[in-house]
Amino acid sequence: MERSVDRATSVGGKQISASQKPKRRHRIAASALWEAFRVAFSSLRSNKLRAGLTLIGIIVGVSAVIAVVTIIKGLDQTVASTFSSQGSTVFSVSKRPQIITSREDFLRFNKRKDVTHEDWEAIARLCNLCWRTGLSANVPRETVKHADQKSDEVTIRGATISMFDIDAVNLDAGRFFSDSEYAAGREACVVGTDILENLFGGAPPESVIGQDVRIAGRPFEIVGVAEKKGKIFGFSRDNLIYIPYTAYQKIYGARNSLVVFIQAASAEKITEVEDQVRAIMRNRRGKTFRDEEDGFALETQDVFLNLYGSATSNIYLVTIGVAAISLVVGGIVVMNIMLVSVTERTKEIGIRKAVGARQTDILRQFLIEAVTVTAIGGAIGVVTGFGLAYLISMLMGFPLLMSAGSALLGVGVSSLVGIISGLWPAWRAARLHPIDALRAE
Amino acid sequence: MSDATLATPTGASALEHGEVLVRDAVPAALISMRDIWKTYQMGSEEVHALHGVSFDVQKGEYVAIIGPSGSGKSTLMNLIGCLDTPSKGEYWINGKNVSEMDDDELARIRNKEVGFVFQTFNLLARATALHNVELPLIYAGMSSTERHEKAKQSLAAVELTDRMMHKPNELSGGQRQRVAIARALVNHPSILLADEPTGALDTHTSYEIMNLFEKLHSEGNTIIVVTHEPDIAARAYRVISIRDGMIEKDDRLR
Repeated sequence: MERSVDRATSVGGKQISASQKPKRRHRIAASALWEAFRVAFSSLRSNKLRAGLTLIGIIVGVSAVIAVVTIIKGLDQTVASTFSSQGSTVFSVSKRPQIITSREDFLRFNKRKDVTHEDWEAIARLCNLCWRTGLSANVPRETVKHADQKSDEVTIRGATISMFDIDAVNLDAGRFFSDSEYAAGREACVVGTDILENLFGGAPPESVIGQDVRIAGRPFEIVGVAEKKGKIFGFSRDNLIYIPYTAYQKIYGARNSLVVFIQAASAEKITEVEDQVRAIMRNRRGKTFRDEEDGFALETQDVFLNLYGSATSNIYLVTIGVAAISLVVGGIVVMNIMLVSVTERTKEIGIRKAVGARQTDILRQFLIEAVTVTAIGGAIGVVTGFGLAYLISMLMGFPLLMSAGSALLGVGVSSLVGIISGLWPAWRAARLHPIDALRAE
Repeated sequence: MSDATLATPTGASALEHGEVLVRDAVPAALISMRDIWKTYQMGSEEVHALHGVSFDVQKGEYVAIIGPSGSGKSTLMNLIGCLDTPSKGEYWINGKNVSEMDDDELARIRNKEVGFVFQTFNLLARATALHNVELPLIYAGMSSTERHEKAKQSLAAVELTDRMMHKPNELSGGQRQRVAIARALVNHPSILLADEPTGALDTHTSYEIMNLFEKLHSEGNTIIVVTHEPDIAARAYRVISIRDGMIEKDDRLR
């Protein structure tokens, strides 16, 4: 009699537990997950040295990747903004292209006719699609003096007034030269901010207006100071002086080939404008449509960007790859530490299994532990990586481009490393037989 | 009725060939072992730790399993506690056939039906007494407020309310074993399974722990104690003696 009662209750109990099953599953997720985090943190706290070493492994990897990516972004940005400071609407006509890759080409280009003031005048007159045209000629390393101060290696740019617009020059003080100054070939100049540093002891821009600098022995009155443009690869873009091309010609003559700059009204129109300018110039060079050779170079600033891009893309890939290897090494460190942790905590695993932890509970616990370490390491790595990039960008003088995207990527990738390297140790822990695990000391 | 509870080797073969028949025979006892064999592979040799053990334990019983070392009593305890599955035979606990269960189902049975008390306590060293007692409830998926409440009640039942925020190394051996007992009882298991529960304790403390077992039994708990000490076994109401992997004696003391 007694037994049949027992039987009824036990069967009843079974039915109740079966109907509760889905609800139980759901609740298990939340409470066991929290337990896993709690255990992960207490395990990290109790083993500070080990946690520290693991963290360093990940931090080094993540910060290397973050620093490299950030620096590369900064470099790219600098290069892009430098070479396209004239904007994507500007192209040039010159005797030689800006990049010559062989000696044969160099000799061939040298035989071409110089681009002259007359060429510019013709383009300015005939090109109705052109928005702005200008010309400039540079002397790259001139010595400039003021009182007893001297500055070497200043770029002297003889230019038309329109070049200020084409080069997108803004003024800190003063003005550009006037039409009458240009026409008369007056000795007036617009200086870059380095000139203030080197010749005027860092005087404020307003105070140097009206003062003289001597270029090739001739006094030039400063009428304007150009806004600072900054450095690229350690080279200043502010160590230059604009003078009227008419004045330039008086000093240096017409011995150098000129560069004519043409600006289209919009980027969409540039091809059309290029075609018209090419036609005008080919006509002036006496080329028929059968001639393949133009006899001049017509280029946008993209040539530099393209060259830069093709030269650096492989270097970047290799650099990022090398940095990524350190992340892989960090992952191996994590795996090693997790294996030690599993071995050391075999007894604990046994106890947990004895009181009802399933394989997934144990697996989750160790995975979360691995991911917790790597995610924390990743976060610290992102911060140190940005710090490193900041230092390097300060030293090399280019902007720091920190993005939330790369920070997220850093933490994400390191967490992924945690999952991958934690999976095997966690799986080993989960598969332990409870009896063997309990027997461990 | 005795047919259902005492399976013979013939019954075991019936399991293999006609499972449906045996399935129908859900035993009425809380624990029912039917012709349990456990075989280990030691190199090329097969070692039989248990040779066809069969017995039942009813709800509310207080049973001692006694035997010398190597008798197979540890193997038997592991099977009763669902830490392991038999090589052959059927094991039913609370109407569930454990012998066919996979690892996760066994984990659930250990969580719901079995409360373990070990010789070496087996508490988590870094966790407080309260957290140790909560552990089975965590894997049962209970909310933390409910868990706290039940764990505190369980600790109160072993008179350790004032020690619940202590870690095991801050507790005496007897207190640790009481924490372990609180943990074993917290999820209201079908059986309390103790493996040499006083093996690591001095005589006085052993006495206290055995008194606690007596009290728990009087409150209706089903208790199975595995021991090699006759003194401890003598506190039980029924003693099953194991020798060479078989039941040698099954005595009801009172």
